[in-house]
Amino acid sequence: MVHALHSLATHAYGAAAVVYLVYLVRQWSPLPLVGRLLVALGAVLHGVGLGLLVLHQGGLPVGMAQAFSALAFLLVLIFLGLDVRYRLPVLGAFLTPFALAVLVPGFLLPSAGGLRDSLRRPLLPVHVSVALIGLAAFGAAAGIAVMYLLLERQMKGKRFGVLFSRIPSLQLLDDLNRRLVIGGFIALSLTVITGAFFVGGASYLEWQPKQVTTLVAWLVFGVLLGARAFAGWNGRRVAVLTMAGFCILVVSFLTAFDPLGGGGLH
Amino acid sequence: MELVCLGLSHQTAPLSVREKLAMPQERQAEVLQRISGAGMEVLLISTCNRVEFYAVSRSLEEVRAALRAEIARVAGEEALGHLYEHAGEGALVHLFRVASSLDSMVLGEQQILGQVKDSLELAQKIGAARGEVIRACSAAFSTAKRVRSETAIGRAAVSMASAAVELAQKLFGTLKARSVLVVGAGEIAELAARHFASAGGRIAVTNRTFSRAEALAAEVGGVASPFEQMGELLVATDVVVTCTASPAPIFEKGNVGAVLKPRKHRPLFFVDLAVPRDVAPEVGSLAGVYAYDVDDLQKVVAENTAARASEAARAEVIVAEEVARFVTARAQRNGVPVVATLRKHAERIAKNEVERTLSHFGAELTEKQRKSVEAMGMAIVNKLLHEPTARLRASGAEDGRLAGAAAELFGLEEVAEAPAPPEAPQAALAAGGAKS
Repeated sequence: MVHALHSLATHAYGAAAVVYLVYLVRQWSPLPLVGRLLVALGAVLHGVGLGLLVLHQGGLPVGMAQAFSALAFLLVLIFLGLDVRYRLPVLGAFLTPFALAVLVPGFLLPSAGGLRDSLRRPLLPVHVSVALIGLAAFGAAAGIAVMYLLLERQMKGKRFGVLFSRIPSLQLLDDLNRRLVIGGFIALSLTVITGAFFVGGASYLEWQPKQVTTLVAWLVFGVLLGARAFAGWNGRRVAVLTMAGFCILVVSFLTAFDPLGGGGLH
Repeated sequence: MELVCLGLSHQTAPLSVREKLAMPQERQAEVLQRISGAGMEVLLISTCNRVEFYAVSRSLEEVRAALRAEIARVAGEEALGHLYEHAGEGALVHLFRVASSLDSMVLGEQQILGQVKDSLELAQKIGAARGEVIRACSAAFSTAKRVRSETAIGRAAVSMASAAVELAQKLFGTLKARSVLVVGAGEIAELAARHFASAGGRIAVTNRTFSRAEALAAEVGGVASPFEQMGELLVATDVVVTCTASPAPIFEKGNVGAVLKPRKHRPLFFVDLAVPRDVAPEVGSLAGVYAYDVDDLQKVVAENTAARASEAARAEVIVAEEVARFVTARAQRNGVPVVATLRKHAERIAKNEVERTLSHFGAELTEKQRKSVEAMGMAIVNKLLHEPTARLRASGAEDGRLAGAAAELFGLEEVAEAPAPPEAPQAALAAGGAKS
């Protein structure tokens, strides 16, 4: 049942991704609405599937496959929110393929392995949730950063491509970047704090790769927000930094899974 | 007496060539004075997008040589490679299309008609445009008027200025509460200022002559700022619209780069409507600075141009109709005086010869015999001119070439110079001729 829902959701996202990519080439007026409906349909199926999984497991999914699935779900939700609020169907051409790319490999991975007992603590679901929310927010921010850089290059080079007529303005992309990065930064901070509680005590920082990369990403985004607030950084520089920070975070996310632990977290 | 057009435009020449040939009004007046003169009428249209000479002269070769020499003098030999030439009806079609904004960079933009009107005014003031050029222009103006009222090409027209507003919106989103600095106080600057003001921008105007900045600021509901405070103005503004007659760039990498930090790297958008350019090309390479010149703006409106193709096609039909109408009217205008003058010319010869012959006979001839001789002279004229007259009148409906040829063949100078009234008074002898 859960698998069937996931499969249907994936197909809906896939169809939506095709619709949005066609929209990049052909500006037919019904395409944005069709895409949005497909994504919404996929999100409903996906959400129900994830909900059933949580019930079935009696807790938040913590395996790599489930984490990937939840991440894709969050990305899709962010996209839907932005599209409804700002009419940004073009974002679908970036975020739906992105969500698919996160979702599909999840199927190929083994389901949740056993969790080490040392990690079975009440804070774990919170830690995992904020980590995924943060990652999704930064993922959306990175997708928007790509759009920003592409449109910015068109504006600079004065060669107007398909994005030109489909993106409202560079200013809007920059604003969205700021909001998503702030949201992601808060979630990432909570991830770090809740993560610290697992280990507890003075030795919480063990300089594990995942801790180091997470802290580096946290610093990058912190510097980014600080520079935005105090030095007036914006636009291109911020977009590049966002993408860099996101890449570091992805590495951190992947190293959070212990490859020897059968895909289990930590 | 054909209209000839020699020039270059955005379609044949890059900005780097056009800006060499573009001239302020005083230069235009000089040039017009230099090449117009006896037997040659000249009109010079010089805008950001085109520099065109329209001339009427007896000899096509002569006018071509004169215009090419002038163009080479002003813009160098290189410019000659970008020239196009239209003669006769082709030149009329071109003039009508230009005035109707069918040849504009932004199809259907409304500024060109005013610019052509200004050009004619200048040429008339100097005396370079007299008969034919004035008539061709007024026909072009009424064509433009028809095109504007009968097609949708003028409606929702995308001018250079509104294209600039669209680009600024692509950068800033809404322009509400964005600061727009207008540099220059000319007509183009004013038009751009109005576009930005109606999009919600807060307008500041600066100009080397402060009083003119004040006048424009009052017109468009902005504030005037001294030109000397350019540095501070640049820090405060989001958009710079510049269209001055400055021969050298006002904004360069140095002075713009210096304000980026005080601006806290907020994006800065330059709209350079001036030719020659007010913004040096390297300015656009600065981070967060977007600089568009008149050629760049063309790319933005390319899509709109395509969407208006059907309207343009309807406008072309109007142009064709108006050119045909003008040609017919001109032929009638030219053809009729040629007939009259030719007849006058022939009658004068006949009269002189008759008088000479009669003077030999003195009183030998009776009054009746004298009348007969006079009638014979007139009859010869009538018989001889019957066919040419009929043919000239018939050809009048098509074109004026036959009339021109007749005038040329018979050496009827004064017809070409100053068209006679439609029906010239008949010579005294005509009465006698009519009796025969």
